[in-house]
Amino acid sequence: MILFPAIDLKNGQCVRLEQGDMARATVFNLDPAAQARAFAAQGFEYLHVVDLDGAFAGRPVNAQAVERMLQALSIPVQLGGGIRDLKTVEAWLAKGVARVIIGTAAVRDPALVKQAAKAFPDRVAVGLDARDGKVAVEGWAETSEVTALEIARRFEDAGVAAIIFTDIARDGLLKGLNLDATIELAENISIPVIASGGLASIEDVKALLAPRAKKLAGAIAGRALYDGRLDPASALALVRDARAAA
Amino acid sequence: MSVAIIDYGSGNLHSAAKAFERAARSMEDPQRIVVTRDPEVVFRADRVVLPGVGAFADCRKGLDSLDGMVEAMTEAVRHKARPFFGICVGMQLIATRGKEHVTTDGLNWIPGDVEKIAPRDENLKIPHMGWNTLDVIREHPVLERLPLGPKGRHAYFVHSYHLNAASESDVLARADYGGPVTAIVGKDTVIGTQFHPEKSQRFGLALISNFLKWKP
Repeated sequence: MILFPAIDLKNGQCVRLEQGDMARATVFNLDPAAQARAFAAQGFEYLHVVDLDGAFAGRPVNAQAVERMLQALSIPVQLGGGIRDLKTVEAWLAKGVARVIIGTAAVRDPALVKQAAKAFPDRVAVGLDARDGKVAVEGWAETSEVTALEIARRFEDAGVAAIIFTDIARDGLLKGLNLDATIELAENISIPVIASGGLASIEDVKALLAPRAKKLAGAIAGRALYDGRLDPASALALVRDARAAA
Repeated sequence: MSVAIIDYGSGNLHSAAKAFERAARSMEDPQRIVVTRDPEVVFRADRVVLPGVGAFADCRKGLDSLDGMVEAMTEAVRHKARPFFGICVGMQLIATRGKEHVTTDGLNWIPGDVEKIAPRDENLKIPHMGWNTLDVIREHPVLERLPLGPKGRHAYFVHSYHLNAASESDVLARADYGGPVTAIVGKDTVIGTQFHPEKSQRFGLALISNFLKWKP
């Protein structure tokens, strides 16, 4: 299990949203690179970065902020938001992003994910964001009638590194992860699944390490790390202990 | 496997259906061609075809008059990633806007406006009616092994407007009619032709066959 601290970028700043609503953004750090360094210093081993403006625009918008983070960091970074063609995938991987996350394009253009994953095995992840089980696209502004499992199944055997499954209804609200839905997804596909949306406390971390969640490859922590509800040191200690015991 | 051809009162429906049936019959694994006004059939189809003849605004109105059809198309194509083929005005309807007499919203699957063609040579009439060769702008699975280029086969056009795509990467092929005319567009699981493949004989059938084989 990897615990990923999240940095969401809006106007070059590090923000948290509530339920993906751009109007409900709280700025937590004006300097994303400093925030990234702080997470690395706390002992996190992998960073999750989302270009929120990019997700809405359909192309990278906060590229400079991302590049500054990459320069400031020695731990790997996974990046999503506005990555919708092979050129953008290639460009980010060449710039040092460890893996890219394809969201909207995974729904609209499955061939892109397959092509990218074939060209860059284990460096392409799929971001599936669901509202009441149904996948949302275009920066979560548009909901579909398709389930996350239906879309995830398209990419079985395609060489995709991970599926990052976010429950929009919970994201940024600190009400706990939607573990049932995430575990169900993980048990029905062979691609590793990362849980996201709502992680609120050390109890969530414990639940992630419980036997019933053993198929989950990781989880993303956002607001809880910024407002102090989740202590990084104790969370990471739990993860390390679980790994040692395994 | 079923291919839904949407019947929304547009003119070239039957010739389009016939061409798809003919192409489907010649395949190893024949697909069922269904002409339909039922959004449920479109939602469940494996492929979706939108023909179209006439003015942009009238066609949009016809499509909207089928309750739930645009939603079913959006689900099937944009969320379930089913391949889509738009023909003539059926292709224009997936642009951002149509600018034929009035400005009408399209489905915005391929960003760009549908604008009047403006041939440089005054002797070239509008509407543009006739046979033209196509130049490949971007390689695509539906263009595989098609006889394109100046020595290739001809596609049949009858139109006064074309899709001026906002992104060059969404244009697969162009014709020349006193200037560039968008002939084939493609993005995600969507393709569309300004010309009529159903009236473009062997070339049209080869293109339709490629579409029926395409697994994006």
